[in-house]
Amino acid sequence: MKKKLVSLILCTAMAATLLAGCGNGSTSTNETTSNNTTTESNTADTSDTAPADTGSDDTDAPAADAQDEEVTITLGIWPEDTLVDDIAVHEGYVATMGELHPNVTCVPAYYKYSTDTFMPMVESGNCPTIFESWFTEPTKLIAQGAIADITDELKARGWLDAMNPSIKELLSDSNGRVYGIPRDGYALGLMLNVELFEEAGLVDEDGYPLYPKTWEELAETAKTIKEKTGAAGLCLLAKDNAGGWHFSNIAWAFGATLCTENADGTFTSNLDSEEAIAAMEYVKSLKWDYDVLTADPLSEDWGTGFTQLGTGNAAMYIGANDAVNQPTQVNGLPVDKLSICPIPAGPGGQYSLYGGTPYFFSKDATPAQINAALDYLEVMGKAPVATEASVEGMKADAQNKVDQGVPVIKRFPCWVAQDVLDAEAAIVEEYGNVDPKLYDAYFEATSSDGLHLEEPGSTQDMYAELTKVLQAVLTDKNADVTSLMQQADENYQTILDATLNGAE
Amino acid sequence: MTVKTSKKLGEKKAKETFRKRDFYGWLIMVPSLVLFAFFVWEPLIENIRLSFFSTKMYEVVEFTGLKNYSAVIHDIDFMAAFKNTFAYTLWSLLIGFFVPMIIGVLISETIHFKGFFRMAVYFPNIMPSLATIWIWSYFFLPGPTGVLNILTGKLGMEPFEWLNNPHWTIPLIIITLTWKSAGSTALIYMANISSISPDLYEAATIDGAGIWQRVRHITLPSIFGIGKTMLILQIISVFQIMYEPMIFKNGGPNNASISLMMLMYRYGYRDYNVGKAAALSVLVCMILVVLSGIYMKATAQKEEA
Repeated sequence: MKKKLVSLILCTAMAATLLAGCGNGSTSTNETTSNNTTTESNTADTSDTAPADTGSDDTDAPAADAQDEEVTITLGIWPEDTLVDDIAVHEGYVATMGELHPNVTCVPAYYKYSTDTFMPMVESGNCPTIFESWFTEPTKLIAQGAIADITDELKARGWLDAMNPSIKELLSDSNGRVYGIPRDGYALGLMLNVELFEEAGLVDEDGYPLYPKTWEELAETAKTIKEKTGAAGLCLLAKDNAGGWHFSNIAWAFGATLCTENADGTFTSNLDSEEAIAAMEYVKSLKWDYDVLTADPLSEDWGTGFTQLGTGNAAMYIGANDAVNQPTQVNGLPVDKLSICPIPAGPGGQYSLYGGTPYFFSKDATPAQINAALDYLEVMGKAPVATEASVEGMKADAQNKVDQGVPVIKRFPCWVAQDVLDAEAAIVEEYGNVDPKLYDAYFEATSSDGLHLEEPGSTQDMYAELTKVLQAVLTDKNADVTSLMQQADENYQTILDATLNGAE
Repeated sequence: MTVKTSKKLGEKKAKETFRKRDFYGWLIMVPSLVLFAFFVWEPLIENIRLSFFSTKMYEVVEFTGLKNYSAVIHDIDFMAAFKNTFAYTLWSLLIGFFVPMIIGVLISETIHFKGFFRMAVYFPNIMPSLATIWIWSYFFLPGPTGVLNILTGKLGMEPFEWLNNPHWTIPLIIITLTWKSAGSTALIYMANISSISPDLYEAATIDGAGIWQRVRHITLPSIFGIGKTMLILQIISVFQIMYEPMIFKNGGPNNASISLMMLMYRYGYRDYNVGKAAALSVLVCMILVVLSGIYMKATAQKEEA
């Protein structure tokens, strides 16, 4: 009997521990989501007055002075813990917010977008009110209903028409509803490590790098650099879809069109055109004839490319104006040793792929919260308005860049509002810490007709197919480019037929 | 009459005590049952359910029957992943199955520095998996700067492509996998060997058996049972290989190392297509059930014979 009693006690103890464990778990969840719970309680408060259009349960009240209601927003765009100076800049923004919008409480909630964490976070209701994502994501996130439709908020502010139309299209669904706003526009260029160009003697009498103007010249330039310095001439990507992304820009220069949208709304793959094959042959020659690539292009992705360039392992890399902090601040290249020149031209012309890095908003955010987050962007100087606060925000950002050794250069215009463009130009003038001549040719090329949007139709799948071909030609000297491109074309067409063409 | 009732009473008592014992048994199991139900069974069933629906985030939208399955099977990368996964399993049996057994036997036969060797073979296991993959990536780097190429260069050889040679990718990944995990399996074999009665060895030694004969006639038969279990466990775990090929070469070059689970990860976490990912994981589960079934049948026959 005693034994039984003991075992009974033991069992109870075990069950109790288990329950206690569960209890603790749930409390801690409550704690971690407290940002969110406050948000929700505020939601309940503001819902009475918030303009009704998100389709959530609590929106059937008349729109009134939502401004005065208490609103809490969580900022996924907060800098990560290690970037102390960037955090200080954001603390300044929060202080300005406190003066301009005392009803808004800003809660830092640093979130670095990644595809493996995003969905569980949204599903558990922990998505920050505003967060930054990648240029690849809009179509997917819109289709999944994972982000908020902000068309009405933007319209009310008059920002909708200020947005660069093609960037707006990237962030919209098929009905023209807009789901995000651009942080920065970007246009691909060729980033140069000026130190390596100097070492190889590839500079003119004024010391500016002699950048390659055609892809043929690029191969020769890269060869000279490799011979004179030992560093790779070009860092080419072939690890993931970024490889296909960069390749599409090369293919355009050779005259290729990789995918065409037909009049009936279907898409036709065109990866095995003569021009596309010529472009792939060219890439192959970079490895097997010129031998100017980094040791293993199959291990290079967007981030490692900047490391190779910034640390002097590669002299050239396809990169854009919105990533100038990568080789410099992140990888230690001196600020005056970075230059961007236009993407080289080919037989088909000169093109620069352009797009925008977006800000998105939580699908659970109320209109009041979205508006507060947009106010915050205004204070950051990332909005199409040139108010005193936003100009101050731009200045703080520029000063921080100067302190961190990041080139302060023009932004690629993602807004078309003239007063904003003027204000930005004035700030670049005032805070410019690099010789603008190192960037002149790039900005000239990207303000003309050479701008090219991404190909239409399931673009990521196209990049995946192209990346596979890149991997094959870069690892096999005897790879048959034509048949590989034909296979890729067939695969891509199959994907198009299964997803976009025949569906519905 | 009295005898009968007492018998009945006895039966009743037995039943009662059985019930009581039963009750305590269940009581002890309750915590683990709850955990299992919540963390294993419910997600498992939910996964099967998801595989028959189109999804938005993790919520079902509409019943689509076998559409997700057909989408998986007709996927451009499915066949490559399917073949590769079997290649991984075969190579892991060829390379990885006997290595821990040999290590286990050798260390058991060692007299000096036994503890050191035990620690040494287990050491790669303590290292974080990602770190080991990064280290091996430096070894396998193609071109003259890779560690292995520097070594082979000293012997006057041309640099190898290593993982970038599509024929080598899978075997080389399996070698790194074996390097990392053989130690822990070897420990299991060693534990098994140490439980063999020393009398057997003594008797064999007296009868004049050498090391090889001792191993062949005593050690190997004794670890045969555990070896069988390790075999099916290895098949099941290698069949689900995912992050090694993902981090080494992201499934490349040109799909030479992509695996089924990696494809599932891409559906679920890159494309946010949860239904399709669920369908693929159900398929993988079914293949493993079939493989385990074949294994059970084969070993059962052997045991009978």
